[in-house]
Amino acid sequence: MTDHHIHLPPASTALLDDDDNPTAPTAVAPQSVGRPSSRFSKIVPVLVLLACGFFFLAPLLTLARHSLQNVPAFLLGRETLFKKWALTPVTLAFKDPAFWPALSLSLKLAAGTVLLTLGLLIPTAVWTHLRVPKARSLIEFVTVLPYMIPPIAMVAGIIIVKPHARWFLNSDLALIPFYVVLALPFTYRSIDAGLRAIDLRTLVDASRSLGAGWGATLWKVLLPNMRAAIISAAFLTAAVVIGEFTIADTLLKETLPRFQATFVGREPQAGYALNLLALLVTTLLFVLLSVLTRKRDVSRRPYVPPADLTAPSTSTGAHS
Amino acid sequence: MTDVIIPIEEDGGRTTSAPPPSSVRRSWAWVGLVPFFAFLFLFLIVPAFSVFLQALKTEEDGLSLSAMGEAFSGQNFQAFKFSIVFSAGAAIVGVVFGTLLAYAAASLIRPKWLRNLITSFSGVAANMGGLPLAFAFITLLGARAGVLTNVLNWLGIDIYDHGFDLGNTAGLIVVYSYFNIPLMVLITLPAIDGLKQSWREACANLGGTTFTYWRRVGIPVLTPSLLGGFLLLFANSFAAYATARILTDNSKIVSLRIAFFLGGDVGIGEDAVGFSLAAWMIIIMALCMSFYWLARKRAERWRA
Repeated sequence: MTDHHIHLPPASTALLDDDDNPTAPTAVAPQSVGRPSSRFSKIVPVLVLLACGFFFLAPLLTLARHSLQNVPAFLLGRETLFKKWALTPVTLAFKDPAFWPALSLSLKLAAGTVLLTLGLLIPTAVWTHLRVPKARSLIEFVTVLPYMIPPIAMVAGIIIVKPHARWFLNSDLALIPFYVVLALPFTYRSIDAGLRAIDLRTLVDASRSLGAGWGATLWKVLLPNMRAAIISAAFLTAAVVIGEFTIADTLLKETLPRFQATFVGREPQAGYALNLLALLVTTLLFVLLSVLTRKRDVSRRPYVPPADLTAPSTSTGAHS
Repeated sequence: MTDVIIPIEEDGGRTTSAPPPSSVRRSWAWVGLVPFFAFLFLFLIVPAFSVFLQALKTEEDGLSLSAMGEAFSGQNFQAFKFSIVFSAGAAIVGVVFGTLLAYAAASLIRPKWLRNLITSFSGVAANMGGLPLAFAFITLLGARAGVLTNVLNWLGIDIYDHGFDLGNTAGLIVVYSYFNIPLMVLITLPAIDGLKQSWREACANLGGTTFTYWRRVGIPVLTPSLLGGFLLLFANSFAAYATARILTDNSKIVSLRIAFFLGGDVGIGEDAVGFSLAAWMIIIMALCMSFYWLARKRAERWRA
């Protein structure tokens, strides 16, 4: 049999190997051809998953422990493991006088960035799709430019420009347009994909021929159909802004991340707890986002012309 | 949600382009894009351009390359060397483990939710850089506060005796892997899913073993994705600031050094070096992203 090994496809080899049941080709063939069948290739994925599970969970767990248990790491042992756990460090940050202004600044920046992003991108994207489709690849290229100019380089630029626009750049909210730029690669893709998923021209023509103006068309027809894309663009923007540290730190704007960094110095345990909280809130935001966009998928499918029914309806860019 | 984070996949939907409007109309339609481009010009092009201008400007209002050269001498050179070495290391680690994890996720059959969990988690973790991550790793591997450090000590292994530090090359690679590995999963998972079952069968029918399959089919098809992933991860690590800011005190990596020069505690004339460092960073990032773009185009060839 080993002589034939080279000439026979592995499926038949496996068939011949199977002494117990030599007449059951269907039971053997798909397995030996398709999925990795050796013991080695079965165990590797499991090991990888376990190792990754440890690597990705361990820092979060130790951060949680450090936040909630007031025992130094070197004193951890069997008798101290269950002592001095408390939820109070989490609330300590709220009592700090600098916390609320920092949080409110970050929320204002997030809200401003989301509004400006949507206000700028939705009309531009709709207009491009309808009237200037030739410009689409140009706009797509321009929207990934922020990848090439990392925040720290952008800050350098802001500092150079600052003497010429002090009236504007001295304000805390002056960060908003730069945050819009920072989030642009995510947000434009999301909105662009949302527009690609619907038959824009038909919707607009139908709405216009029924007598709706441009405002009504945008507000009553297009926005509801792009809901998932708008929600994900908004959430991504908010997440970027609330976590942004580089620009705020270099320009000395007292946002939440800057407070997170300095508060650790004053109140180590509570500082770690605050960072844990920030992590949890961001993660929740993402979970909420996926739940929200998934629900919309089922209950409110955007209008798709029959020919495109096979295309993914709301996925933000991936298609298999 | 995960797909929005990086341009992994290009939608092929170019079929919806409008019927060409009359030429008179077209020339006016461009006006609608003016606000968008004006905005980008003001808040992206002007700052970026002025970085280059400032880096090239001399005190006598002339232009010279001396500051750009200055960026590669002494401590600045050390910073570039360190940044490039640890970013390349972090990118390699991310590529290897990210691909392994993506492969494990792709070959998962039984618990269906596990694959979804991996992709969703990757979407979150790929964006998780920044302060909380740095603090989380201090509680895991910090010199005194680290739980794992103390557990290993108790087992008789002192990692800090072996030159480990969260601010060193090894430490930064470990920490950056936390967002690099998930990013790589997001990049390679579509590519691995794109490996067709029929290719494997064809290889088997021609007498190939699993090893032949990977050597002749799997790896060559995946190479553009892996290369693109490496470039993106390298750029990602090279430009990161917040995490490194917490973990290393001094300005030994480029992004921290730029901030140090911008901070204003330096002599007059020296700040041009900060701008030239920023200019070099933009150049390096632009190169990485351009090659990433090329690699991605190449990777799409196999996806029909």
